[in-house]
Amino acid sequence: MTSASGTAAATAVPPARLWGIGRYDLGDSPVYFEISWDDWRRDTAWARDMLASHGVSRGSGLVIVGGMPESPWFDPFETAARELGVPYSIGDVYPFEAFRTSLYARRLPITMIFGIDRTVAEALGSELAGIVVRIPVVGARPDAAALLADAGAQPFMVTRVGPAIAVECPHRTGAHLNGAEWTLAARDGELLISTSGSRAHQVSDAPVGLRGVLTSGPCACGRTGQRVTIMA
Amino acid sequence: MPDDRFFEPEIETMPRSSLVALQEERVLELVPYVYERSPLVRKIWEEARVKPGDINSLADFTERVPFITKDDIRRFRDQAGDPFGGLLCTDYRDAATVFSTSGTTGDATLYAHTWDQWHPFWAATARDLWEIGVRPGDYVLGSGFKMRGPLYHADQMCGAIPLMVSTGIGGWATALDAIRRYRPVCATLTGLAMAELDHLSRSNDMTDIFSSFKGATFAGEPLGARAREQLRSWGVQVYLWTSTGDVTAAFECGQHDGCHAWEDSVLLEAVDPSGSAPMADGELGELVATSLDNPVTPMVRFRSDDIIRMTREPCGCGRTHARFWPVGRKGDETIVAGHSFVPMDIWRALEQVPETATALFQLVRPGREIDELKVRVGYDPDLTRSIPDVRDRVSEVITAAVGVPPMLDLLPESDLLARGRGGKLPRVVKS
Repeated sequence: MTSASGTAAATAVPPARLWGIGRYDLGDSPVYFEISWDDWRRDTAWARDMLASHGVSRGSGLVIVGGMPESPWFDPFETAARELGVPYSIGDVYPFEAFRTSLYARRLPITMIFGIDRTVAEALGSELAGIVVRIPVVGARPDAAALLADAGAQPFMVTRVGPAIAVECPHRTGAHLNGAEWTLAARDGELLISTSGSRAHQVSDAPVGLRGVLTSGPCACGRTGQRVTIMA
Repeated sequence: MPDDRFFEPEIETMPRSSLVALQEERVLELVPYVYERSPLVRKIWEEARVKPGDINSLADFTERVPFITKDDIRRFRDQAGDPFGGLLCTDYRDAATVFSTSGTTGDATLYAHTWDQWHPFWAATARDLWEIGVRPGDYVLGSGFKMRGPLYHADQMCGAIPLMVSTGIGGWATALDAIRRYRPVCATLTGLAMAELDHLSRSNDMTDIFSSFKGATFAGEPLGARAREQLRSWGVQVYLWTSTGDVTAAFECGQHDGCHAWEDSVLLEAVDPSGSAPMADGELGELVATSLDNPVTPMVRFRSDDIIRMTREPCGCGRTHARFWPVGRKGDETIVAGHSFVPMDIWRALEQVPETATALFQLVRPGREIDELKVRVGYDPDLTRSIPDVRDRVSEVITAAVGVPPMLDLLPESDLLARGRGGKLPRVVKS
């Protein structure tokens, strides 16, 4: 079949040095960051663990709300869903693409929306309340938290922190960071990120443009390591 | 195994007779498979009194198997409460991804795939990127949208590194920064992207920016003459692409002589748009697609509403798969006060007025035959000194093109861009 022959051909091609290159901003300056294939595999394993902690398993269905430029953060969750045997759909983060998130939420047996942001939540308008009634497990970006709360949801937080992503577990006591890869520090409430693992992208105490509170110590979910609560 | 010229040389250049034999083998596997599993196929075939046992050859298939239209899918969806419109052949849980059509011509329809490593919609696109010249170690600028899944899989299959920066609406200023830093060899463009690049070209040396490019792909809508000339002046070789009835993608090769349909993954037909007779090579026909590589939601003789010209003659590039030239959408022809025209006529007219040269417009029509020509047109505020003056000149060129004076709704370009869907602007809308 075509997929099989294409995969075979791709196997014969020298693999790229990197999985991809993403971009985040430090203040007004863009930072391009490299993601190696090993980085991506470890990120996927971590994403799989986080999704599983929310009960995502065979029989679930996901809508992942994230645009193409956000793939360095969200592709590991897409891949993790596939590895868990869970069908997923993608809602882009433009207001005019919000209809697609709604379409999947209305038509499919979706059990979780992951990553909804303010742009999409606002564009969904009055539909949002109906969606969160049908799909009670919602992972939201911090900028969408208030809108979702108004709509009756109790979302868990999903937030990009510079080149990293942090995700709350069902206990919702701060978003877990993958401590094997990243470390956060707070200086006067400003969050600074450093690489702690052997990633292609190395950064040290870089301000990510967010204010937040860090929590250490074990979480009720059993994970240890840092959790972060983003402040408005 | 890829060579210097082709990504999958044995498949891309296989003799026509072998390709037809391969298609027949796949079609004859597909027929009982979909009849047993697809509720829509079963319903439509039973209505047509066709059974799998009646289909013993490719000729039987194209002569006897009934067509399926988008309306059939929507009707089944609404009547049966089946989100997939009767196309799903597996359990939903067996799908890996569920995506949807652009939704520019109505309610988007769902399609699903199962896969392990590379998304099947893009698996054959590696052949097209290889043809453009994408090679291991190259950088490729990511596409602006993800509604059809990870197009960057095709980059990665070629050993290239995708630059995942915004190339969607409003993202091109940052994309130019990434181009300067990484010197990618390829990017995916759309009409909406061209509107942005048009603005950016006033303050950037686009020839220098695009000097690293081996090519850029363009899809979603026709490429207007002005945009084509702009890209040429920037030194960008453009490769048009489109979809084959939402089954897979089809790209031009370096000959720029039609889009290659990968016929190992899709059975492509061109039929009489108002009937069912097959059209001869080179004649206008409606694109009909059958999935040969999707066991989850296979399309079976799906009438796409896309009007094409098609040829099965080998291409000058050495490939043997069919090529086609998109001409327009069935139903796009509009008749106003006895005058017939297609959206491209308005497009060309607007390109003549500097303030509307990006040709961002929507034809507002409640039906195919209308009494008044209503057009929503985007203008560039940076170039516009007098809206009444722009209105007069736009009215003049549209009247000359169509034969009827339009009722114009002039809006800043940004207002039109905000009406885009899936990287393109619906050109024909009801309101």
